[in-house]
Amino acid sequence: MNSFWTVAGFTMKNKFKGKSFLITTLIFVVILCVLANLPYIISLFDKNSDKPVSIGYAIDARAVEGTKIAEQLRNSYAGQEKPAIKLTEYPDAGSTEQNEKVLKDAVADKKIKGYLLFGPVNETGLPTVTYKSEKLLDEKTSQALEQGIQIVKTDIVLKDSGLTDEQKSMLLSPVVINTMQIAASDGAGGAGNGKTEAQQGVDMGFVTLLLMLLFFGIMISGQMIASEITAEKSSRVMEIIVTSVSPLKQMFGKIFGMFVVGLTQIVIYVAVVFININLPHNNSAFLQYDIDLSKVDPLLLVYGLLFYVMGFLIYATLFAAVGSIVSRTEDLGQAVMPITMLSLAGFYITTFSISNPDTMLVKVTSFIPFFSPFVMLLRVGLSNPPIWQVIVSIGILLVSIYAAGWVSAKIYRTGVLLYGKRPSWKELRKAMKAYKV
Amino acid sequence: MKPLVVERVHKQYGEKTAVNGISFEVEQGEIYGLLGANGAGKTTTMRMVLGLIYPDEGKILYHGKPYTKEQLSMLGYLPEERGLYPRVQVSDQLIYLAQLRGMSKNDADVSLKQWLDRFEVPEYYNKRVEELSKGNQQKIQFIASVIHRPRIVILDEAFSGLDPVNVELLKSTVKELRDSGTSMLFSTHRMEHVEELCRNITILHRSNPVLQGSLRDIKKRYPREKVVLRTEGEVTGLEGVSGVIGVQKHEYGYEVGIAEEAAAANILRHALERTTIHKFEIMEPTLNEIFIKAVGGDLHE
Repeated sequence: MNSFWTVAGFTMKNKFKGKSFLITTLIFVVILCVLANLPYIISLFDKNSDKPVSIGYAIDARAVEGTKIAEQLRNSYAGQEKPAIKLTEYPDAGSTEQNEKVLKDAVADKKIKGYLLFGPVNETGLPTVTYKSEKLLDEKTSQALEQGIQIVKTDIVLKDSGLTDEQKSMLLSPVVINTMQIAASDGAGGAGNGKTEAQQGVDMGFVTLLLMLLFFGIMISGQMIASEITAEKSSRVMEIIVTSVSPLKQMFGKIFGMFVVGLTQIVIYVAVVFININLPHNNSAFLQYDIDLSKVDPLLLVYGLLFYVMGFLIYATLFAAVGSIVSRTEDLGQAVMPITMLSLAGFYITTFSISNPDTMLVKVTSFIPFFSPFVMLLRVGLSNPPIWQVIVSIGILLVSIYAAGWVSAKIYRTGVLLYGKRPSWKELRKAMKAYKV
Repeated sequence: MKPLVVERVHKQYGEKTAVNGISFEVEQGEIYGLLGANGAGKTTTMRMVLGLIYPDEGKILYHGKPYTKEQLSMLGYLPEERGLYPRVQVSDQLIYLAQLRGMSKNDADVSLKQWLDRFEVPEYYNKRVEELSKGNQQKIQFIASVIHRPRIVILDEAFSGLDPVNVELLKSTVKELRDSGTSMLFSTHRMEHVEELCRNITILHRSNPVLQGSLRDIKKRYPREKVVLRTEGEVTGLEGVSGVIGVQKHEYGYEVGIAEEAAAANILRHALERTTIHKFEIMEPTLNEIFIKAVGGDLHE
């Protein structure tokens, strides 16, 4: 047991002392700081866009209907508290062509962003409206325009209907559907008393973040384990080490050491995000977007940690086995490809299913080891799987970890002494027999 | 109780026999030479002694006991190809390796400093291995194999890559270790090192031990068949002396091959009649010659 801790300690010491650890951690910390402050940064820029967009139109004696509607529109916007659009009137220049030329000049002088042209009245009782500008209409402005014209149209239609103002505003108020996610039966999802739409959004974001941490955490540490083992092999330090300590202890000591390093990194990242989010200026920014992180289920964090540990173990043992059969660092990338593919598949199943976490694909893959750490976390986070399914999935995963550890240990024991070209399965089996592993 | 006993050890890799029934014993304070051409089974034998691979037949005893994990701490190993972490400080990795062999951190630190002083390179304590020259890396490698005061040390090509000064330094260190009671299994292609250090040797050829025993006995078994002659003037007609089978003229004199030892006297007489003799020696065969004879001309197959 003693040498297990010696190996783990040495692995950690070298990683923590290494420059690459410091640099990668710092880079991620900076990225996370920016991401966590993004809502606040966006809100800073948004203040400027509160100013109404100015749009021009021309009084045209040849299209009286259009001009009338334009005036009503202008009055309607002027009456609003925070109008998104400010309409500017330009006097009649004599002909339609002349009018458009004046408006174009105004756009060129940056007095207005664009202008409206009113065509002949069609069967809806309104003239056709064309918006012309140098840039495409952004969604906010186009919505405001449509709403404005809708109001004007309703006004015209209802003018003689004898409806009171209250009735009119009732007619105009939009229909809203509130959605709540509830748990119909007791499950592991923790939906419990229901989740609002905003809450679901927060959950989705949070689960995405967890899955990304899980994926990158496992992949980066796994790659490091494999490359360290190959490096030890190619520098022949391995020969001295395996004559000093049993290969099993060495392999698991290394995996454990790397696990602590990876976990430390993740703890640093989570702490950075947590501190950033709790900065005073961020509180209001998050509230504005309806993001309330205090509503995140702490149970989900526990599941996240659990699946991280298990996912790490199952992949790390495989990475160690692959690292042990490769003799040169250059060959490593190719050798770990199958493992990378496997984890990428698991990760992509979750990214594609994040808005639809109840498909058959998700249900099935949440029981398949190598995928289940990702997929089951998605299900627990975003839907409501029965608790027995979660337990079965974890059970299968634990058995697979044991099996992967056993196979990897056998490969490792043989692989660390095989030099030269990467052995085939047949050669590996033969060597195992020869070494009596 | 002998520190290391290897008894009829046999190892098969699939179809290929790697080691075919090798036996030898290493006494306390003895350096045992394990010789052989490349691929003769030296490394496999050493790996079996180290417990890296298990023999198919036969047994290996350490102080009378079979291999257990506990034995690891009394073994030291210097691999043929250099094995150190290039980017890790000398002190870090040597203390780590010593700890893996069951030494405490403090003891390892003290031992390391003593060894660095012994090799007159105390400033390497904080250096990374990649910063050192090849010869100095070899010194560190040597320290790595003996830092934990092992009772059996396995040295595979210990002196390769060193300049003559450092070879002497390491050789004297190896002798010191021998005199303090450490047993060593020594493999090299440099026969003069073996002649200087080893009492007993085994020569392996294609997995089989072909020559075994004390160096002195082995040399006695091979007849003396060479005379070295250095004279004032020129000596002609050596080829005609009875018993002579070949003459080679070198800068320093003549090397005369003889069929039997009695012919040497004839050569001496023949030379004395003609000129003054500075040197006359009936050479015993060098290990180099014995090795080539034992392993034979089929080295180049």
